[in-house]
Amino acid sequence: MEETVMESDSEEISESAPRQGVADAWETVTTALVSPGCPLSEQSLSDSLDLLCSQGLGPLLGTWLLETLQMHLSSYVVPEFWSGLKQPENELEERDRVWILLTTFQTLLGRLEPFLGGLEKLGTWQNEGRGGLSGPGPRGLRERAFTIIRALLLFSPSPVLQERVLEFYSRTFSVYMNQEGETEEGAEVPDGPEGGTCPGCGVPTQQCWCQEALEQLQELSHILSKLQMLEWVSSEAVTSILHKLIEQRMEQHCRGEYERSFLLEFQEWLELVLGWLNKVFASEVHTDSLVPAPSAPNNQGGQSASSILKQWRCHMHQFFCRIYVNMRIEELFSIIRDFPESKAAIEDLKFCLERTNQRQQLLTSLKSAFETRLLHPGVHTSDILTVYISAIKALRELDPSMVILQVACQPIRKYLRTRDDTVRQIVAGLTGDAEGCTDLASELSRGDPVTLEMQDSDEEGNDPEDWTPDPTDAVTDKMGSKHRSSDIISLLVSIYGSKDIFIDEYRAVLADRLLLQHNYNTAREIRNVELLKLRFGESHMHYCEVMLKDMADSRRINSNIREEESRLSEEEQPSLSLSAIILSSEFWPTLKEEKLELPPLICQAMEAYTHRYEKLKAMRTLSWKPHLGSVTLEVELEDRVLTNLSVSPIQAAIILHFQEKSSWMLEELSMKLGAPKELVHRKLAFWQQHGVLREEAGGRYYVVETGSTKEKIERGVMLIDSDEERDSNTTTQSEQREEKLQLFWAYIQAMLTNLDSMTLERIHSMLRMFVSTGPVVMEMDVNELEVFLQRKVREHQLVNSAGVYRLPKSN
Amino acid sequence: MASQNMDPAAAAASSTAALKGSESGGTSARGSVSKRLQQELMTLMMSGNKGISAFPESDNLFKWVGTIDGAQGTVYEGLRYRLSLEFPAGYPYQAPHVKFVTPCFHPNVDEHGFICLDILKDKWSALYDVRSILLSIQSLLGEPNNESPLNMVAAELWDDQKAFKAHLHSTFKK
Repeated sequence: MEETVMESDSEEISESAPRQGVADAWETVTTALVSPGCPLSEQSLSDSLDLLCSQGLGPLLGTWLLETLQMHLSSYVVPEFWSGLKQPENELEERDRVWILLTTFQTLLGRLEPFLGGLEKLGTWQNEGRGGLSGPGPRGLRERAFTIIRALLLFSPSPVLQERVLEFYSRTFSVYMNQEGETEEGAEVPDGPEGGTCPGCGVPTQQCWCQEALEQLQELSHILSKLQMLEWVSSEAVTSILHKLIEQRMEQHCRGEYERSFLLEFQEWLELVLGWLNKVFASEVHTDSLVPAPSAPNNQGGQSASSILKQWRCHMHQFFCRIYVNMRIEELFSIIRDFPESKAAIEDLKFCLERTNQRQQLLTSLKSAFETRLLHPGVHTSDILTVYISAIKALRELDPSMVILQVACQPIRKYLRTRDDTVRQIVAGLTGDAEGCTDLASELSRGDPVTLEMQDSDEEGNDPEDWTPDPTDAVTDKMGSKHRSSDIISLLVSIYGSKDIFIDEYRAVLADRLLLQHNYNTAREIRNVELLKLRFGESHMHYCEVMLKDMADSRRINSNIREEESRLSEEEQPSLSLSAIILSSEFWPTLKEEKLELPPLICQAMEAYTHRYEKLKAMRTLSWKPHLGSVTLEVELEDRVLTNLSVSPIQAAIILHFQEKSSWMLEELSMKLGAPKELVHRKLAFWQQHGVLREEAGGRYYVVETGSTKEKIERGVMLIDSDEERDSNTTTQSEQREEKLQLFWAYIQAMLTNLDSMTLERIHSMLRMFVSTGPVVMEMDVNELEVFLQRKVREHQLVNSAGVYRLPKSN
Repeated sequence: MASQNMDPAAAAASSTAALKGSESGGTSARGSVSKRLQQELMTLMMSGNKGISAFPESDNLFKWVGTIDGAQGTVYEGLRYRLSLEFPAGYPYQAPHVKFVTPCFHPNVDEHGFICLDILKDKWSALYDVRSILLSIQSLLGEPNNESPLNMVAAELWDDQKAFKAHLHSTFKK
């Protein structure tokens, strides 16, 4: 549009005569515009304007002014600005650098002020319609001018500007914070008058320029806002300062510190920081209110101070939350490890996590932390369990939907499944036997236990109104949210997917405990069984109840038999007092079988006991387990007596044989006892250790009738009976597992024989459906099954082709 | 004999049917049948008998597929027969329906695979189970009952073991 005007103008000019007059008028007006101080009378200016407008040159004024500004800027002002900023190479003190920064901007403003003034004036004229002038008005002109300035000045900004601004802002920040009474703990502030540094500006107190810095800040802000460059120049610096400071402060205050909540503290601190921001951005508002904007429907630069600050406050909170979450995610493993103490940290994290979108990051990081720090062979199972329990407690605080818990702990559960002693450890924890982890025992005795509902129960307990959708990162499984339990015991028990395996293990533990004690005292076990009954349900604990009842019955039967014996005549009295624990074999776990022929003396006593029992309980008899139990005996030697030795039956049997014959060959003893030589050899070591027996060449053992105590000790050091470790009397978990795998294999063979070929999934579902749920059943997930099947494939007992398994042809 | 084959649950149900309706009785009976079948499957798996095997065909516990290998020393040695076993709701008080799926040339098996075996008919007892049925059928292969043949040709040919074997193996198809 302006182009067309210009063309028509030039035609007009070429035709018209009073060229000289127009040129003069142009000169007058432009001088008046760009040099404010020039002594021109209002009258001649008006005349000139009128003349120009009458010639149609009015609209050209604005264009010319902007054009001149642009020329001036690019050829002169901008190079001057940058060279001014860069000019002092290095070796300058901070204070001087600040001064240079400020002066450069001052110069810039000085250079541009005439133009801005001219634009202002022209704008006013336009508004007033003087001499028929019209145009966008002062605001419009200014906008265009500032766009040009920003474009030219910041077209290729040198990093030096950002550096300087950043430095200056950081300085003013610390000055400001210092003045507001916030002393950074990191900076040490010696009190001495000499040599002390000002905590604000970091120079000796005598040369403190804190106040100056604040004034300079105000001035710079003022200039920048005048040039409408405040946002452009400052935002980046402010952002990075805030980032850095929040991070720094967090490193100093919060890292490793989980027992305190930091939210409020930071809230207060951030408010303080806002005060500084206010200083940085305030002057913009200041000028805005100075320059009247009468007709400004599009209030472009007119974000009020409060809205800018509001925006920055939001940013700051966002920064804070993000940085905090980042740090805590990094530390989450330690936080979980310390859990009950680190509750404050978890709560903080929960608050912040809700405001940032970092759940995925948290999950990934936590999972890998578990994998690298916890789940490797060097960590004891009980420690893994302890951390897992802590994780359950901590994560259910963090995420009540339990999704994080479920997802992040998946690797732990999977790993625990591969450890042989997991179940034993958990059971030990439940019964309070384990050293470190007392949590489980207290969890068990806690009020209102949740009954373990492993099998799907269809009834929806909750009010449908209360239903909330799962977070998007929830694992989609058939269980659904209602099954996402947070109960520690049910989570642990469900590691194997079946509670029966735990009950079996508990039975084994219980059996060991009952068999190792000989006083029929079951108070503690009864308590445990009662507690477990609340968890697992009556029917599952039935076997254990029978075991406990066996103990009580044994005690009664025993005292009955004793009573009967006491009524016998002197010579009929039994030679040794025998107490028995009578087990209902159906209900006890499989006991280890060991062969042992007891000496006739003991066998007679056992027979007598059996007879009395048969009289007491018609139609029943006893079948002895000679290798279980314990014998208290007294060994009388020529020069000494060993009293109150509590030994195993085989050890007692050995020494009893030495009563009739003082020397034995190992082979003879082994024959006599019906036990393997190695076992007898090991058991003999016990007596050697006590200095009762000694071994001589050719494997012959002699009784040491006279022996010094000293010798005994020496021998004791030499021969430690490796058998003294408390063997479990029941078959181990891995043996049981092997047995069950064997059972599975029978099923798999049968289904493949009859149904030819099947996929992994089909085999899995068939097993689930048809392996009958007896007292011993092991759930197996698809992956485990696949591993098992692959093993069979390697052993050539199975063929896998095209995704289906079949038996090899020859079979 | 007859009393042993009576289903006490069914007897009880019939007497109370008028009061309660037999629906519930039926389902619970079915549940107990499932339990029994599951138990039988377990027994079969644990028994480790060579040459006999069976497994539910799909998720339906009432329909099984069985496999019998011809016993050693009989003409059937080296041949493998597939059978189908269907258990009625009244099992084990009613005999299961067992038939050959693989065509079987045998005096007591007809061309549809139906088997003439006393324990599957009037001699059935609730004490039998899948394992004993399969074992009986396996031994029936080697020792047919020629008194009451279903397959006359096979019965006549049986005495000539060599010819029988030749015919058997030439006509055998999976």
